[in-house]
Parts: sequence; structure tokens; C-alpha cells
Amino acid sequence: MAISVRLEHLDKRFGRGARAVHAVRDLSLEIGERELFTFVGPSGCGKTTTLRMIAGLETPTAGRIWFGGTEVTTQPPQKRDIAMVFQDIALFPYMTVRQNIGYPLRIAALPRPRVDEKVERVAATLGLSDKLAMKPGQLSGGQQQRVAIGRAIIKEPKVLLMDEPLSALDARLRAEMRTEILRLHREISATIIYVTHDQIEAMTMSTRVAVMDQGRALQIDPPRTIFRRPADMTVATFIGTPAMNIIRASVVATPGGLAIDLLGQQVPLPPRHHAALQGLKRVAVGVRPHALRLVMPAPDRITGRVFLREPLGLEDEVLVEMANGTQVKVVAAAGEEFPERAAVGLDFAPADLYLFHSESGGAICHGIA
Amino acid sequence: MSRLQLYGPFALLLVVLVLVAFPFYWMVLSSFTPKEALFRPPYQFFRLDFSLGNYRELLFATEFLRYFANSLIAAVGAIVLNVVAATLAGYGLTRFAFPGKKTFAFGTLFSYMFPPMLMAIPLYILFSALQMRNTYTGLILAHMAISLPLNIWLMWQYFQIVPPSLEEAAWVSGASRLRALRQVCLPSARPGILSVAIFSFALSWNDFTFAFLLQTDRHMFTLPVGLATFVEQTGVHWGMVMAAAVLVSMPTFLLVFFLQRYLLSGLRTAG
Repeated sequence: MAISVRLEHLDKRFGRGARAVHAVRDLSLEIGERELFTFVGPSGCGKTTTLRMIAGLETPTAGRIWFGGTEVTTQPPQKRDIAMVFQDIALFPYMTVRQNIGYPLRIAALPRPRVDEKVERVAATLGLSDKLAMKPGQLSGGQQQRVAIGRAIIKEPKVLLMDEPLSALDARLRAEMRTEILRLHREISATIIYVTHDQIEAMTMSTRVAVMDQGRALQIDPPRTIFRRPADMTVATFIGTPAMNIIRASVVATPGGLAIDLLGQQVPLPPRHHAALQGLKRVAVGVRPHALRLVMPAPDRITGRVFLREPLGLEDEVLVEMANGTQVKVVAAAGEEFPERAAVGLDFAPADLYLFHSESGGAICHGIA
Repeated sequence: MSRLQLYGPFALLLVVLVLVAFPFYWMVLSSFTPKEALFRPPYQFFRLDFSLGNYRELLFATEFLRYFANSLIAAVGAIVLNVVAATLAGYGLTRFAFPGKKTFAFGTLFSYMFPPMLMAIPLYILFSALQMRNTYTGLILAHMAISLPLNIWLMWQYFQIVPPSLEEAAWVSGASRLRALRQVCLPSARPGILSVAIFSFALSWNDFTFAFLLQTDRHMFTLPVGLATFVEQTGVHWGMVMAAAVLVSMPTFLLVFFLQRYLLSGLRTAG
């Protein structure tokens, strides 16, 4: 049976005085039963510390943690109905695969035949049946990670915590294991809380994502919402590859109403955006590299020169430099058109432009239409 | 590859082997040589006049067995207490934050720098007051005073290379701190524990200073002190001294022989 997890004004500081680190700041959120909830963010953003507080491996400086209707803030990890997969896999090197997977059950003092039976069933679902007699050192990285997952799910925890479980694996194995974890999420009835710095993992697997930065949750939403309606500039640039272009622009008054001067091209603003932009002189315009198209230069278009063209296979990543030095990244179809140093124009649909406050970074609108 | 490159290292090894092994060979040979034959020229490298006379005299005419038992009790006590204390201290130093931790760690190493004699005299006065002279407890504690600081330092270093996530994995599996230490942490620190055991044994087994000062009762003499009395009592009876030396080196030899597999595996994991 899964259980919901609620964090209330969670705060964590390490150390004292001038060298103190404020790892998590006033974090409140609720994770529903059977969710696959992901904390994502750059290293040092507080995501792992949050997970370790949910596990009971760290004690919060302030705030409370609830599992369903029970407060667990000060309970040690042994008392919480959890399991955890660690970033460095952390298998016991002197035990066989069988002993590693069965360890939680041996501690629960289950009789030997019951343990063996369950270990064999878990090993079968993870494709480890022929590896039970081996030591972790004899396995490949992917197999080791499977053993670690087996050890975590065997006691059927209410909450399964995963701390960057795939970061030790190479790219191909990572993609394979992502599917494995998704399958696991369907099959076991546990609330899964996942930590990663890899936005692709966060976007592809999660029911909801919390984007964290400097100890704060910037946005908590389903992956699609995070991508389409980022709460601020930090989220917008962190999610999506290649990263969203941020271009400084000014707000100008024209005979037809307010408009944005984007690198010399004027983009008129429909009246419904006027109120939000009233009094602003400058804004930051965000546009994803996939939303820009390379076209022939023309007088009424943004024009620049191709600075760098990187072939990625199906597509090329093209870096275009404007006369004022601004660089904009464009993803274009692979081809010989517009080689490096050629003059090029940029075309876009106003609906693909995001507007952010240039100081606070907060989103003003997602698409001009 | 030339012949010199192929066989050169072996030749060098052979020379070193002879240098190291000859005294040992000479000790064993002399211990089996009868008293009368030992100083009769010509002195030969290979002799066949084999006799157990020295051993018979050593075991039945002297208090050698008594000294041997005393040394063994002191050594085993020192090993057990050192392993328990150094393991817990090393674990505590790596896994808990407490004020003065660094100072404590360096303090232990500093106290190892004292020569044994400097501690022996205060210990004599202290143990006299506590009536702990001529007791096994007193001798074991004295031996711990010289070996424990380095042992703590050693275990501290060993626990630093055992990843904390191993223990955390055991905790979230439901294991108590003590159980996680026993089942997960200690197996990984086993080479360190064996080093501590061997070092404690060697210091206790070879100690002369403390045993000589603290154990004034003949019945409480350890081997190093007891063997020294052989020289005074009977003149120097080299055959018997050599027989004693063979028996004294046996435990050390056996210990290293049976533990070398673990010691080497420890070196491999560390390297």
C-alpha cells in the first residue's frame, strides 16, 4: 500500500556562523499516493538533502514531515516504511546477490525459505535469476543497479526513494533503466520519490516534477506544464535541450499600441498583454531553439551571421550571432544551407515567445497571441 | 629478451632470500644441535647430529612454559581489547561529529610518540597504588597504552574509506546502527582489524620494558623477561636459547602465515 508524503515548511542548515550552508529553504509540498515525484535541479540545489530528510538520514532544522496521517520528522530511518536506492549503488561487497536482495527480509527475521522464495521472485522480474550466487563486483554497472533496486523493492515499502540511481551508468544503459523504472512504477504499489540532475529523466518518467534551485522549489507541476508554462526564467532555461534562448528586449509604444523591440524587429503585443507590461521598459524574451527557423535575410527580419554549425544527425545546432554580439541558438534541419559565416534571417511565431521580468525572472506570459 | 633480463631478478631475489633466511636457518639448526657439538670445530653449515636435548631441557627443567603462557595471555588480552577499542574509536571518529574531534585524533597520535620508558615509571607508581602490579590486567592495560593510539589512528583511516552509504543502505533496510556496523561496516574494514590485531600482538609479545618493571614476581614473567634470566642463571646455554627462540617465533610465524591472505587482499583493495 502506498502512502502520501507531506513536507511542511521544511528547512535545513548545515554548520554554523559564516560557513553555514542553507541547503533547503521553507519547502512545503504534498506528494500523492503512487506518484512518481521527481526533484530536479543543478547540484547543490537541495534535492538530495530533501530526499535524505524524507528517508530520516538527515534531521530537518525546522518543519515537519508526514507520511499519511503520521508525523515522522524525528523518526530514524529504521522506523519509517521506506526503501532507498543510492547514487553510488551501495551494495554490500561481501555478500552475494542473493544475500544483498534478501537483506531487508533477513533483518525482519523472515524464515529462510520465505526469504529465498521472495528473492527468487524479485530476481526473476529484474532478470537476475542466473546471478544470485555472484558477488556485486562480478556484475556490470546496470546489473548492480538492478540488484540495488531489488533490495529496495523486496520488502514492499510504502515509499521508495531513489537518489540519482542512474548517474553511475552510461547513456545507453540509462535509457534502458528509465523504462525499467517506469515499468516498476506501474507494477509495485509504492509512492516513488526520485532525485536527479538530469532533466530528461525528470521529464520522461515523472507524474510531477519539482524544479529546485538554491534550496527552493521554483515550480511544482506535471512535466508538460513545466515545459510549456515555466514559472520563471530559471525553470525555462533548465528544462529543455538545447536550453531556451533568453534575449534582452525593450518595450516600445507604437501607433498600434505596445510592442516589443526584439533585436530590431518589432513584435506587436495584443491588448490583453498590455496591463501586465504597463510601466515596464525592458523584458527578457525566451524562445526555444526548436521554435526558430533559418530563412533568407530580409530588411524587416532579425538578421545575423551563422557563427557555428554543429551536426547532430537528423538536425543541426546552429549558433547565430547578431550585429550587437547577441548569440541565439537555432535547431534546424541538417543540410548545407546557411553554412558558417553566411548571412541569415530568423523567423518565428509570436506564440512561441515567452516574456519574463528582466529583474525577478518571473514569467509574464507564455506565448504572445 | 636477454637471459640477464629473464633471470636477473631471480638471482637478486635469491641473494636477498639467503640474507633473510640464513639467520633463521642457523637458529633452527643450532636448536637441534646437542650442547657438546655446538662449540666443537669445525663449524659446519650442514650437520646431521640431530637431538631434541635442548628442547627437553627447556620445557622440563626451566619455567619456559610458564613464561610462554603468561606472554600468550597478555598478547591475547591485548589483541581483543585493542581490536574492540580501536574499532569503536575509529568508527566514532569517522561517523560522529563532536567538538574537539580533530584535536582528539591528533592527540592520540602524539601520545604514541612517547617512549615506553617514559610511561613505564608513572604506570609503576599508579599500578602499585592500585595493586595491579603482577596482574594480567595491569600488563594488558600497559601494553594497550603503547599500541592503542596507533591502532585508533589506523582504524580511523580505514573507516574513512568505507562509504557511509553502505551503512545508510543497511539502516533503511531496517538494521540498527550496531547491526549495520557489524554486518556491513566491519567486513569492509577487516584488513584494518587484522592489522590492528597483528600490531597489538607484536607489541605485546616483544615488550620488555613494561613486563620487566611491572611484573616482579617470577611467576608472572613474560617470555622476553624470562629469556633474559637464562643468560644470568646458567651462563649462556646457546642451544637452549636457540630452542627458546624457535618456540617464541612460532606464534608470530603462524599468525602471519594464516593471515597473509587477508593482509594481501587488504592491500589489493586499498591499492
